[in-house]
Amino acid sequence: MFTKFFYDLRESGLKVTMSEFLTLQEALDKGLCNSSLTDFYYLARMILVKSETEFDKFDMVFESNFKGVVMEPEVGANMLKWLDKPEMNELLAETEKQWLNKVEDLKIDKDDVEEKFKQRLKDQDSEHNGGSHWIGTMGKTSFGNTGGNIGGVRVGGNTGYQSAFAVIGAKKYRDFRDDRVMDNRQFMQALRKLRQFSTKLDIPKTELDINGTIDKTCNNGGMLQIVMEKPRKNAIKLLLLMDSGGTMIPYTKLINELFQAVYKSNHYKDVKAYYFHNCIYSKLYNTPECENGDWIDTEWMFRNLDSDYKVIIVGDAAMAPEELYSDTGNYRGPNGGLPGWEWLKLVKSHYKKVVWMNPKMAPGHAPWREAETAIKGLIPMYHLTVGGLNEAMTKLMVNK
Amino acid sequence: MIQLQNDFQGTNEYVASKELLTAVNVAITLQKPLLIKGEPGTGKTMLAEAVAKSLGKKLLVWNIKSTTKAQEGLYMYDTIQRLYDGQFGEEGVDDIAKYIKLGKLGEAFDSEEQVILLIDEIDKADLEFPNDLLWELDQMEFYIHETKRTVKAKHRPIVVITSNAEKELPDAFLRRCIFHYIDFPDAPLMEEIVRTHFPDVEENVLKNAFDVFYDIRAMKDIRKKPSTSELIDWINVLQISGIPVEKIKKELPFIGVVVKKDEDLETVKQRMAQNY
Repeated sequence: MFTKFFYDLRESGLKVTMSEFLTLQEALDKGLCNSSLTDFYYLARMILVKSETEFDKFDMVFESNFKGVVMEPEVGANMLKWLDKPEMNELLAETEKQWLNKVEDLKIDKDDVEEKFKQRLKDQDSEHNGGSHWIGTMGKTSFGNTGGNIGGVRVGGNTGYQSAFAVIGAKKYRDFRDDRVMDNRQFMQALRKLRQFSTKLDIPKTELDINGTIDKTCNNGGMLQIVMEKPRKNAIKLLLLMDSGGTMIPYTKLINELFQAVYKSNHYKDVKAYYFHNCIYSKLYNTPECENGDWIDTEWMFRNLDSDYKVIIVGDAAMAPEELYSDTGNYRGPNGGLPGWEWLKLVKSHYKKVVWMNPKMAPGHAPWREAETAIKGLIPMYHLTVGGLNEAMTKLMVNK
Repeated sequence: MIQLQNDFQGTNEYVASKELLTAVNVAITLQKPLLIKGEPGTGKTMLAEAVAKSLGKKLLVWNIKSTTKAQEGLYMYDTIQRLYDGQFGEEGVDDIAKYIKLGKLGEAFDSEEQVILLIDEIDKADLEFPNDLLWELDQMEFYIHETKRTVKAKHRPIVVITSNAEKELPDAFLRRCIFHYIDFPDAPLMEEIVRTHFPDVEENVLKNAFDVFYDIRAMKDIRKKPSTSELIDWINVLQISGIPVEKIKKELPFIGVVVKKDEDLETVKQRMAQNY
């Protein structure tokens, strides 16, 4: 019956339904799996999974159900509890500021940090605060939070000064889609600018052209002759790419408003939205949680969303230079053989119109924000305010 | 596998992976539509032709465009023609049935024998399109309001649906389908496919063409990746023209058959000059 398998699949986020599961039972009943595990695998997959992007999830559940393979160690709930120490934040604010000033002088090897983190995650078995080796708070090691070490791996806690390479285990991403009552009329007004009415679209003539019909009928000596025309439709297609990284958390509300505004303005021909973490690499995520596996290939996007899509990238462009320039700079997922910079260049060259909305853009020339300055040179960047959005929309509409 | 009444094993012209064969046969046995996805040019449309040929059944093709409405597949009532006919007092105006024309789905239901129905590129249509067909594909019947007639499938057609994944399909629709994703063929399978098309292709031509082809596919910044059908065309041209084998990699003759975009041509020529 494989009931556990069914519930495990649902647990993993696959939308397997009762009727599909019954279909699988029927198929088994008819002997379609040939008593072979491989055949069963394909049979179950073709009936239960309806998108190639979800094969990966299915594989994991299938593996754990039918082979019992041991998975990589994860950050446990206990460890997060040991690290949840908000009261230490204030105490540390001062010290952290001092450290922050030194950020730019420090050179930290990310691979090394990651390797050590995995090792220590394996070894640690109790709570540590203030030490210099284990993962804990207030410490000097590269792991944990509210610690003095810059450029380590943050485990839980609040994003303070954005110096950790990775925000592991932080279940803080909010779904921007959550319907929240707020006044985003101004954003919607700005988005109205994106309009390009066209009757040249390939749509059927479904509206009665009354004037045309009267003309033709009169010309026809009073014998009825009907004229139909195409309805006027907005031809604009919109592609939203949104940064959902740790440093974006303070701007969740603002992004939420923008997202709502786009979806409420339902007059576009098509709207697509994907998410990325800090920079665009070979994968784009379907949800703001940016979970590995729930993604599409950036190349798939190039192939399937043509160059007519107007692209709005939303992000703070705050990242370590290596996240932008190194071809192993993506610490959460695959790089696809190219550094983030090259991926951004591909986006820019593939789409005719690309703008970057930045919620905390530095005014004027800001050479200390290396990544932001570089990206600004590649893609026109605007401050994410009503004014900035207005400018950006104009930029998206003008020819050249 | 139990011996099926309708058992599809591929044909001389169509090489299918084992998983694809299973998927086709499962769909036939469970009487559910088979949804085929995959990169353009991996032979999605040809599959239906091959199934029809191998089972000796008639193939009906319903090509979907962005303007196609679900209703068109069932039947069309030509009201304007009837209005015109009425003005001129043509005969038979009172017979509504004269103005009802069955669509492809209607034809498939109404057929005296079991047919294969190919709904080609379903994702081209409007987002709601697949949802509008749920009842008809489930129950294999529909009702013509104007003539109060129910068209019910005499023999349940074998339905093959293809999609290029341009749009997401609705969940309710997906739940009712058997799904198969045609992977891009790996080199050995590709060789088999090419050989079924050109049984006496030269070993060297094949090898050189394959090298170039997979190199191009591996390039990240290519806008349109070449597909199986383009490779087959290219090998065909190479054979007919009789270009010396050693020139294939150096001069990339007729590369326009494989690479279709200007920008891509530039990229490919530059890279290949470095490689070889």
